[in-house]
Amino acid sequence: MSTAAPKSWTGRVRERAVGALPPEKLLPDTQPAYVTSAIYLFGVLSLASLVVIIASGSILALKGPGWWHFTGVGHFFNSIHLWAVELFFFFMVVHLWGKYWMAAWRGGRARVWMTGAVIFLVAIPCALTGYVSQQNFDAQWISTQAKDAMNSAGIGAFFNLLNFGQMYSYHVLLLPLAVVAIVVAHILLVRKHGVVPPFEIKGRS
Amino acid sequence: MAAIFNLNHHASYAHWHFFQMSVSNIIVIVLMLAVFGLAIALRLPGAPKPGPNP
Amino acid sequence: MRGRRQLDAERYREWRGEYRSYDLVKEASIALGVVALIALVLTILFSSPDEKPSTVQSWARTDPVDFVTTATTELDGSSGTGGYGPPYNHASSGQHLWFIHLQKWLGVSHPVDTAEDFVLAPLRAISGQPALQAAVTRYESAPANAQTGWTSAYEKGLTKASATASGSITVPAGDYGPLPTMMSGLLSFAQSGGLDGALLTSRQFYQTDYTRPLLFMADGAVLSNRAQAEHLLGNQWGMMNETGSYPGQVWLWLYTFWYQIKPFSTSANADILVMAVMGVLSLALILIPFIPGVRDIPRWLPIYKLIWRDYYRAAAR
Repeated sequence: MSTAAPKSWTGRVRERAVGALPPEKLLPDTQPAYVTSAIYLFGVLSLASLVVIIASGSILALKGPGWWHFTGVGHFFNSIHLWAVELFFFFMVVHLWGKYWMAAWRGGRARVWMTGAVIFLVAIPCALTGYVSQQNFDAQWISTQAKDAMNSAGIGAFFNLLNFGQMYSYHVLLLPLAVVAIVVAHILLVRKHGVVPPFEIKGRS
Repeated sequence: MAAIFNLNHHASYAHWHFFQMSVSNIIVIVLMLAVFGLAIALRLPGAPKPGPNP
Repeated sequence: MRGRRQLDAERYREWRGEYRSYDLVKEASIALGVVALIALVLTILFSSPDEKPSTVQSWARTDPVDFVTTATTELDGSSGTGGYGPPYNHASSGQHLWFIHLQKWLGVSHPVDTAEDFVLAPLRAISGQPALQAAVTRYESAPANAQTGWTSAYEKGLTKASATASGSITVPAGDYGPLPTMMSGLLSFAQSGGLDGALLTSRQFYQTDYTRPLLFMADGAVLSNRAQAEHLLGNQWGMMNETGSYPGQVWLWLYTFWYQIKPFSTSANADILVMAVMGVLSLALILIPFIPGVRDIPRWLPIYKLIWRDYYRAAAR
């Protein structure tokens, strides 16, 4: 293999990717010694919740949107999906609080904070499309109410909460893809920049 | 599939001036604050405790 | 200050101190197992809510007076949907924020003609009832002021109407023209379940768009009565709540808070105002690293001293 800088697109992408995230950075087996607080668990707990959401959601998608109303097994997976969503927001908010009080954007880590905040803000409409896809009274009420907020901003012109087919498509494909894409970017940025070091205290650094 | 605790009855609500929230939601918020407090007070499982002063 | 910021950015860029061993994949696997277990336990303990949807049929059967009243307001365009504006019709210009009229600018993309779609077209589809069709023809060929005279009088009469044991309604006598015949026909059609289907499949066989039946029901009291009983109304902080005693959407607390206070609670533009406020606050959340003051609070209120106390104690020795 040539040691000169690659001229091909593939070569350049590879060099950039490996340069930013060499294997030992992508999958490290050490962490800074100051990482001792249990607050550091809440990022991975949020990620685990997202995995359970997607797994249970995939099983619900296998049988179609009406299944969970008529079988015990279907209702079981709907319940797992709902509680995983509650856990996802729970862990994510505790993670956000922890990262705020650590001022974890320091040292060039602004994009880590920003992608994290965007995940939270995209997860909310993703949950909304789920609530209006339930095909029960809750879906009827939420869609007929939230439509006013969407319509007031002109969003209702192309995003119709009362259109089950459209909402289901957003919920099962488009918005989860968006959430996962931003989560991947968030995690890669954490791996690239490393966990934020503690504030230096005078006389103790 | 019947749940052990049936939550399909009307919720109880806490009122204070114009503010009202279901007891279920209050429990979730209190839990969140409690878990946050515990998280910053406790160590990671397996994290070494600081040794005695040399 | 800028100099200190740049120093900070460099000082905290990379950790050059001690590391210790750590198993990332093992931690992630354990976290996955723990979360799956918690979700399983919560499922076994509490399950999840599933309240059956209302239908136009159930509405017409349990509250025929409200159904007929709503249908009459759809006929004369005085219903919520009838006067809504975009994206359903041009009856109003919708909500706005100063000179920004997004609702109007994005246009009528889901046209709904309440008289035609909710009343006249379904009635015309009913066969074998010549008296009903004659009433519809009489209504459609009457001048506009006659139509309005009949609907206004009928709406007044309906405030004193009552339901009979057979499911029909009795209205005090008045000059209602063909309306009693039309509405009686529509009520029977709805109570038989035909109107649910007629509203849904009016454009093509396969349907996934419930815009029409949902708008029709939302114009009446069937959904809001159920919602009020479940504390789901806007002024009950309903956005945060779930049916039954289940925890709801706690993360929407700030979004629903604005609706409870002035000027939002009394404004005709409440929705766009709250969207604007939340849009600004959401942007601020994303941009915290760049907002002076907000980004410095963690330094001033040093919760970090608790989080990193082991490190500080070790460094002090």
